[in-house]
Amino acid sequence: MAKGPTKAETFLRHLEPLRGALEAYCRRALYDRGEVQDVLQSVVANAYRDFDLYAQGTNFRAWIFRYVHLEVLNYNRRHGRDRHEELPAAGPAAEEARSPAPDEPLFRALLDDPDAVLDQCDEAVAEAVRELDPVGRATLLLQAVGEFKYREIADILQVPIGTVMSSLSRSRARLRQRLVRYGEEQGLLKREAPPGPGDQRGDS
Amino acid sequence: MNCNETRQHWDLYHDSEGDPALHFQINEHLAVCPDCAQWFAQQSRLEHLLTEKLKAGPWTPDLWDRVLTSAGLKRPVPSRRLFLLASVAACAAAAVVLLFWGKLFSPGVPAQDLARLSADWHERLSQGEEPVQFHSESDLAVEAYLRKRVSFPVRCPPRKDAGFAVSGAGTGELGGQSAAYLAGAIDSTPVSIFILHKDSLDKFPDQLRAVRRKNPHHCREGDYQMVLRLIDRNAVVAVGRAPADSLEKVLNAYASYPDHH
Repeated sequence: MAKGPTKAETFLRHLEPLRGALEAYCRRALYDRGEVQDVLQSVVANAYRDFDLYAQGTNFRAWIFRYVHLEVLNYNRRHGRDRHEELPAAGPAAEEARSPAPDEPLFRALLDDPDAVLDQCDEAVAEAVRELDPVGRATLLLQAVGEFKYREIADILQVPIGTVMSSLSRSRARLRQRLVRYGEEQGLLKREAPPGPGDQRGDS
Repeated sequence: MNCNETRQHWDLYHDSEGDPALHFQINEHLAVCPDCAQWFAQQSRLEHLLTEKLKAGPWTPDLWDRVLTSAGLKRPVPSRRLFLLASVAACAAAAVVLLFWGKLFSPGVPAQDLARLSADWHERLSQGEEPVQFHSESDLAVEAYLRKRVSFPVRCPPRKDAGFAVSGAGTGELGGQSAAYLAGAIDSTPVSIFILHKDSLDKFPDQLRAVRRKNPHHCREGDYQMVLRLIDRNAVVAVGRAPADSLEKVLNAYASYPDHH
């Protein structure tokens, strides 16, 4: 009689397509590249240990990202980088965060020609991500790197979906503020950028 | 919906989240407000570039070897001497292959063209040269059919209110990449929608570059219009003789559906 795949084979088959996303998430969420291996080792060991609890056919991607999120959170806390913070509230704060608080003309210049800044801002982006609060950072990375929907992110982080929406909005705004600041410091963004569509914004 | 209200919902629209009715209202506003349409496009482009930057970097085989070995999921790497021997043999084999490859295919192998391949496939389907594998005008039935047959996420086909009337579906390959298709029509003009996993675009470097510059990407292939859009984990291509705007509208509607996978 033919033998079915072993637990290890099944686990590896699930893990295989997610390696890039898992590694990228850790690289962005941790403070030192050298820490990525430590965290991934713990994640893989713990997830494999608990793999019997995973219900086949359900969302493995979300299942293992919960392990990654918790491991990164613990790792950063253990090393005194992230404080335990209150979850950001949903509501008006999201609206506030959405408006591009940075210098409006410079932000428009960034929108007109983002490549000029993005081509050379690797370190600024990495720094901006690390400066986010833990939930904001996790939300941003789960959405961008993990490609999760809001509902999935809420399940992974075990927070309300409204918190995911406000956190993501705030994190995006902060990242953009940092890009504008970087562009200004490096002389890549000019204040006298031509007026964009926002100038004549009216209700249709 | 006015400009302010529309712009406040950019996140939801960009992330294909929220109520389909909201997306419909936003699309309606964008169709008549070029300022907001440009604003949305610029915001989405910046976000797309940032996302690419956050994801950048392939996974590292050495690191994963160590991770899997330490978790007991992989045997340790063989001895250094054996490894060296294997490396030399592999290099020699690679050199031979490259030599032959260079002779056979110089000056270079042309990259695959997603526009041509999808236009050809659409033509075969619309001319009846290739039978549509599954006939149905039911969104749910078509979705259920496809989900059993492809490993990547496939969403509900676009609603008829976006102008696309689905008539069937099937699966196959585009340039060696697994793909699903939705056959249908916009105002009686045959249109096909091809869905691939986003990573499959690596095999179509021209289109990958183009859609990274501007998502969605428009082009023509013979008599056919083609619009390619990255939607979550998919690359979705709409092809047909329908106007490009109509094809894009269909893809926008497609994007407004939640990803159930």
